[in-house]
Amino acid sequence: MSAADPRPRVAALALAVGIVLADSSIVVLALPEIYRELDTSVAGVTWVLVSFNLVMALAAVPAALVARRFGPGRTAAIGLAVFAGAGLACGLAEELSTLIAARCVQALGGAAAVTAALELLPATVGSERRATAIWAGAGATGAALGPAVGGVLTELVSGQSIFLIQVPISLAAAVPILAVAKHEAATGIVAAELRRPGRPHLAANVALAMVSAAIAAALFLLVLLLIEGWRMTPIGAALVVTAMPLFAVLGSRFSGLVPDARARAAAGAILVAGGLAGLALLPKATIVLTLPPQALVGVGLSLVLSALTETALHGRAPQAIHGGWTIASRHAGVVIGLLALTPIFTADIATQREQAIEAGTAVILDSQVPPLLKLELAQRIEERLEGEKGRVPTLGPAFDPLPEDESERAQVVVLRDELEEQLDRGATHAFSPSFLLAALMGLLALIPIGLARRVDL
Amino acid sequence: MSAERRGPLLIVGALVASLVLVGAYLAAGGASYTPAQAQDPCEPREWRDPGSLSEIAQQFSLSALDGAACELGVTREALARALASPEARERFSERYGIDEMKLAEAIRAGLVRAVDDAEEAGALPPIVAGPVRGFVKEIPLDQAIELVRDASSLLGDPTSILGGAGELLDPAEEILEGLLEP
Repeated sequence: MSAADPRPRVAALALAVGIVLADSSIVVLALPEIYRELDTSVAGVTWVLVSFNLVMALAAVPAALVARRFGPGRTAAIGLAVFAGAGLACGLAEELSTLIAARCVQALGGAAAVTAALELLPATVGSERRATAIWAGAGATGAALGPAVGGVLTELVSGQSIFLIQVPISLAAAVPILAVAKHEAATGIVAAELRRPGRPHLAANVALAMVSAAIAAALFLLVLLLIEGWRMTPIGAALVVTAMPLFAVLGSRFSGLVPDARARAAAGAILVAGGLAGLALLPKATIVLTLPPQALVGVGLSLVLSALTETALHGRAPQAIHGGWTIASRHAGVVIGLLALTPIFTADIATQREQAIEAGTAVILDSQVPPLLKLELAQRIEERLEGEKGRVPTLGPAFDPLPEDESERAQVVVLRDELEEQLDRGATHAFSPSFLLAALMGLLALIPIGLARRVDL
Repeated sequence: MSAERRGPLLIVGALVASLVLVGAYLAAGGASYTPAQAQDPCEPREWRDPGSLSEIAQQFSLSALDGAACELGVTREALARALASPEARERFSERYGIDEMKLAEAIRAGLVRAVDDAEEAGALPPIVAGPVRGFVKEIPLDQAIELVRDASSLLGDPTSILGGAGELLDPAEEILEGLLEP
């Protein structure tokens, strides 16, 4: 590797952007575990996500200004160090408040690293357009892969391991950037670089916020549906939601074929909305049926995020500031999406849980099993409900051990399946209004996209 | 194809894909994939054609639950789970603000409705139904709950429960046994 070889630095910068933007979604699959471990509420645990995205939204533009004043190399290196340190604090946190505070600090470091990376990339790759594409691509990949990686880590290690794993990765990304920081320290910041930034691209940034709200909702709600609703393990849910980034990779191939960024953005927003509407109308609680909607959301997100980011940055200088605006818009959108949808689905899931349990109990009462067995089953179900307060319960074990009598056993198995079916129906239906609202957010993004001037890239 | 035309084509493709997905899921019943609604306990529930004592006992219990749930303004299902154990009963009382006395009154009213329903369905002869009705109106809570849980003792041998008064029912018992014979 020669000293002039830019690849390690490009890889480090892409890794930095990817890991920071993955962080807005990586905890999604760990939330149910954090929710139980820290003994909090769904609304409380949502703030583990909201706090990070809120601080990212607020700090992105100021961080870009800092990067321009004090040097992007130094800002990126310090940002990654802060991100790593706060990640360690998140991993060791024993209380929700500590975790949320550490997440805020982590977002400050992340905002500095991501915006500074955009300032460093054009000089490193030699082309502003290529730099934008790498930066936007790394961000979209990180955001899409986040939940899957988080789910695997949660299942194999623990929920909080996802924060600890970020420590060595972000420090490793910081190492190649240190050389730039040293160079800046030696030469100082060039005064010409401190020119006044132009106005941000309003339509592209508003559309980014709206579509990010829809995408965040898609990831967050789907994960919660799989784990809390359909009672899947985190690793199982991680495997299922991996479909979304896989389809995103497929969608990124269309980007090169269609130069009209506005058309790509519109098509992407329509696909995201269509996929979310599909998730709202699932005809059965089956993993396979989540794949077509995930395909639409995945292809859609890769089209719309890259097209809007490129539009927002096209012909605008300085890149770091305008990149900061896109980061602020995306994360503000995530915050809006989570805050708007959490109360809706929290209330819906409680109602549907009750309704599903009522329907399941009705199935038992109206069945032909002997009365005393009915009562025993009712008692066991009541005990499980008590043990899993506020959640959709796993009622299968309430039917164990199965009766020895063959005909009774067959009846009980049918009952168990019918009861599980009612719970699946309740959980799936509980998420429908939230998915529909998220789809509407995606569709509304078409308004600013339509108002934006056409940009061919 | 020219690069100029690819943009509109991509938008049309996205629209078609989205509409096909939504249409297919709607056609497959996506809008009606909801849990079954619990029936209003105050509405009469039809008795299945009873073929054995245990079936009559089952339907008697369900009628009693319906009647009691209707009195309390809760669902039959919630009440059934509440009667599963003393702890469940306590949680139920706390949740709905229903004390033991109110619960006992409701269950007795439910038992009366069950006797009415059984009589109407021809599962209990009027000569038996009258004294049984009088008996369940005064029954203590624990015994009332036991009857809701399993009414086969009452329906199979009313004299054992009704004590001395039950001796008057000997002829009725014969009628009942005759009715239950296949």
